[in-house]
Amino acid sequence: MTDPAANEPEAGEPDETDRGLALERTSLSWTRTAISFAALGGVVLRENVITGVVILAVAPLIWRLGRLTGSGSSASQLPIVSGTRIRIITVSIVGVSLLSLLVAVLGPSVPGALLRP
Amino acid sequence: MSRSGRFAAWWPGGADPGEGHEPDPRFTFANERTFLAWSRTALALVVAGLGIVQLLPPFPGVPAGRHLLGVPLIVLGAVLAIVAYGEWVRNQRALRRGDPLPRSVMPWILAAAIAGMAVISAIVLLLSALR
Repeated sequence: MTDPAANEPEAGEPDETDRGLALERTSLSWTRTAISFAALGGVVLRENVITGVVILAVAPLIWRLGRLTGSGSSASQLPIVSGTRIRIITVSIVGVSLLSLLVAVLGPSVPGALLRP
Repeated sequence: MSRSGRFAAWWPGGADPGEGHEPDPRFTFANERTFLAWSRTALALVVAGLGIVQLLPPFPGVPAGRHLLGVPLIVLGAVLAIVAYGEWVRNQRALRRGDPLPRSVMPWILAAAIAGMAVISAIVLLLSALR
């Protein structure tokens, strides 16, 4: 049988069960997602400026969404904020995919651009 | 299942938003991070598809080769984002009810899609090399 005290963090070690660390990891995850949007916007920008700018503009909005549950938010606000932003990001990705599909099918291509120095 | 019931199935609280109890915020955050990781995977697929169509040199003898490889990746990115949302809802509902977490279909979808894309890539390359 294991000792329950064995799972408790030693003095000086970070407490992995602390909500603050979970919040920080989630916030960083939102930042990475916003960077992914920016990267996609950069790729599209090469082919279609307007579409690229639209996707690039989504990136700071996604980053801002990730900051909505700051340390000042109460636990009761979490499910509402969480559900809304998850739906927003799903709609954003589907919209961005459709825009990318249009650019891929209808847009002018630069064949061999990857091979050029 | 009624129309409202089908809609409710895509809502974290199920038919009744107040169903179950609010889970530990750490679990809610973990579920959210998993969803975000799948979202980034979806975006990466879209970037890859767009890059193939727009930047790769054409395959000799297979004029539609780049579209054959790139367009499915972009569509897969959109599908993955929608399925990831469904998974997030199912997991959140299970957390609220205290049920075991449901099995995820996402790895299966991704593995099958990557295997399919590998086969299509091999066919396009072979056709291109033979002409």
